[in-house]
Amino acid sequence: MDAIVIRGLRKSFRKDQPPAVCLQGETVIRKGELFGIIGPDGAGKTTLFRMLATLLDPDEGSATLEGLDVVRDYRKIRTILGYMPGKFSLYSDLSVKENLEFFASVFGKDIDSNYDLIENIYCRLRPFEKRKAGKLSGGMKQKLALCCSLIHSPSILFLDEPTTGVDPSSRRELWENLAQLKAAGMTVVVSTAYMDEADRCDRVAMMKSGRFLTVDSPGNIMKRFGKRLLAVRSDNMFSLLKDLRSLDAVEKCYTFGDTHHVTLKDGTEADAAMIASELESVYGHKGVKVYDVPATLEDCYMNLEEE
Amino acid sequence: MSAFGYLFVKEARQFKSNPFMPVVLILLPLLLMLVVPLAANMEVRDVRLSIVDRDRSTMSTQLIDRISRSGYFVFSSYEDSYEDAMEQLSKGRADIIMEIPEGAERSVGNGENVEILIAANAVNNTKGTMGGGYLSSIVTDYSAELSGSSGLETSSPLTIIPQYRYNPHLEYKLFMVPALMIVVIILVGGFFPTLSIVSEKENGTIEQINVSPVRKRDFILSKVVFYGILGIFAFTLAIVIAHFVYGLASHGGLLEIYVSSMIFLVFMGGFGLIISNYSETMLQSVFLMLFFVLIFMLMSGIFTPVSSMETWSQYVTYILPTRYFVNILRAVCLKGSSFSDLTFDFVMLSVFAVVINIFAVVTYKKQS
Repeated sequence: MDAIVIRGLRKSFRKDQPPAVCLQGETVIRKGELFGIIGPDGAGKTTLFRMLATLLDPDEGSATLEGLDVVRDYRKIRTILGYMPGKFSLYSDLSVKENLEFFASVFGKDIDSNYDLIENIYCRLRPFEKRKAGKLSGGMKQKLALCCSLIHSPSILFLDEPTTGVDPSSRRELWENLAQLKAAGMTVVVSTAYMDEADRCDRVAMMKSGRFLTVDSPGNIMKRFGKRLLAVRSDNMFSLLKDLRSLDAVEKCYTFGDTHHVTLKDGTEADAAMIASELESVYGHKGVKVYDVPATLEDCYMNLEEE
Repeated sequence: MSAFGYLFVKEARQFKSNPFMPVVLILLPLLLMLVVPLAANMEVRDVRLSIVDRDRSTMSTQLIDRISRSGYFVFSSYEDSYEDAMEQLSKGRADIIMEIPEGAERSVGNGENVEILIAANAVNNTKGTMGGGYLSSIVTDYSAELSGSSGLETSSPLTIIPQYRYNPHLEYKLFMVPALMIVVIILVGGFFPTLSIVSEKENGTIEQINVSPVRKRDFILSKVVFYGILGIFAFTLAIVIAHFVYGLASHGGLLEIYVSSMIFLVFMGGFGLIISNYSETMLQSVFLMLFFVLIFMLMSGIFTPVSSMETWSQYVTYILPTRYFVNILRAVCLKGSSFSDLTFDFVMLSVFAVVINIFAVVTYKKQS
């Protein structure tokens, strides 16, 4: 069954600028799916979330959550939706417990009624129950925010960049929590700017300049990457980038961790050894290493951009 | 618990856990009421003078001519009897009465002392004191001149007996204290709810409320009611100080005072809501609020009499609800007026409270 159906949503804030979100066609997110929206800052992820969370009316198009229209049935949607904004937005002058109690009562519930859902997350917060929310560490704030958006047992959960500014171990914990929620049958939509996190999603939408470039499972997206991909290193990485870009056989070159990733043009004869020798003889690079690598999601994203 | 109930509890918890606001709530009325009345004083012009000239002699004409040339007075009426002039005074058409008794010129000619009565309406204390003071100095000057020219031994043939109505001891504080009570209620009733709403905007907590089933109506109401109660608390503190420190509020009914201040708090709550609708940050809202609060305080007769203003700005005061609230509070505190005397002011104040709140709700819906 479809949990979320998006039909050509569009929103622009200023007439002299391109729209913040401009989705074409129909996108469906299935019930119980862990769906990722990946894109750089400014891609329109937050605007999309705000429209789906009934905080912002779209200019054009429509979307339904569990069959409820985001504009017409916003009141009903608000009872079945959990939304965790990117910015910490709980009452920092109330204690951990007071925040949780307040958000439970907002939905006409109390803490005990859905405690099993948040137990795994909240057990880490228990020692700090009396502490003011504003005085918690970043990871703890994140956990509390997640608890508060889960306390009414929503059927759909939106998380807007939940891992931005959170340490690696807390990030891992969060993704484990999300996997548990998914296992419990909840539809979870997460946005992130980190490509490595997208592997954990059932399906991802790659977003850029307000559009979905592609929507598929991470495995399929990587499988469809049809180009030859090389990783290149040398002693002088800075001039290497420039030199690689001037090669005829190279279509695209970008930094990737401590190497440069290079995609080759279709139909070119060149391979790793040829490029290595050209770099050494023509440009005088030392310590050159060139080898084939399998494409990651980030490579897919970098190459999708241009289309 | 109803939506309003838990939102109200949340407001109270937030307020309690804030280390700063509860202190402000108590210190603000305390300092304003205890320190400022000792420090402020002002000058007046255009004092409306009602003259009862029963002598109608050369001397009285000369005296009146001299008063008019001083530039401090406008002659509002010439009456035949003190009673008529008193009526003008009580209706608020005149500020000061000067009565020159019958046969004053003849008495002066015979070398007798003549008593000139000056009665000033001291509800607006500054005007009463200063106007009375100016008038007596003019009369004293004139009488010195008279005694000089007539060559008689009596040093000053005309004596003045001033009589200040409603504020017999001419306490400037009695004028200031009700004004400061109003300032307390403007500051608490205006700033507290506005800052609370805008801080929710700034911290993003309003987003969390907006995605929940909580109705905006309940959200706003919880704030207006909670901070309204705080406003009443601060105001009560001010009344207690006014009573025990300055001996005020002994004339009027507490009911009139509280009803008017509650209506005014409802107005300020709605006004604060409008400000918060149009500002994104605390800084914006503070500046916007301050701008209007200053206009409310300086242009509605709280510190300077409306009658001393330029004519155009006197008309402006009619669209400032503080004008009516000031009238009510001063009349109740100093004259002991009741609802029936102040129907117009109460009606106007209520109209403002209702209109501003309708406007606030309409603009709030547009913003979301």
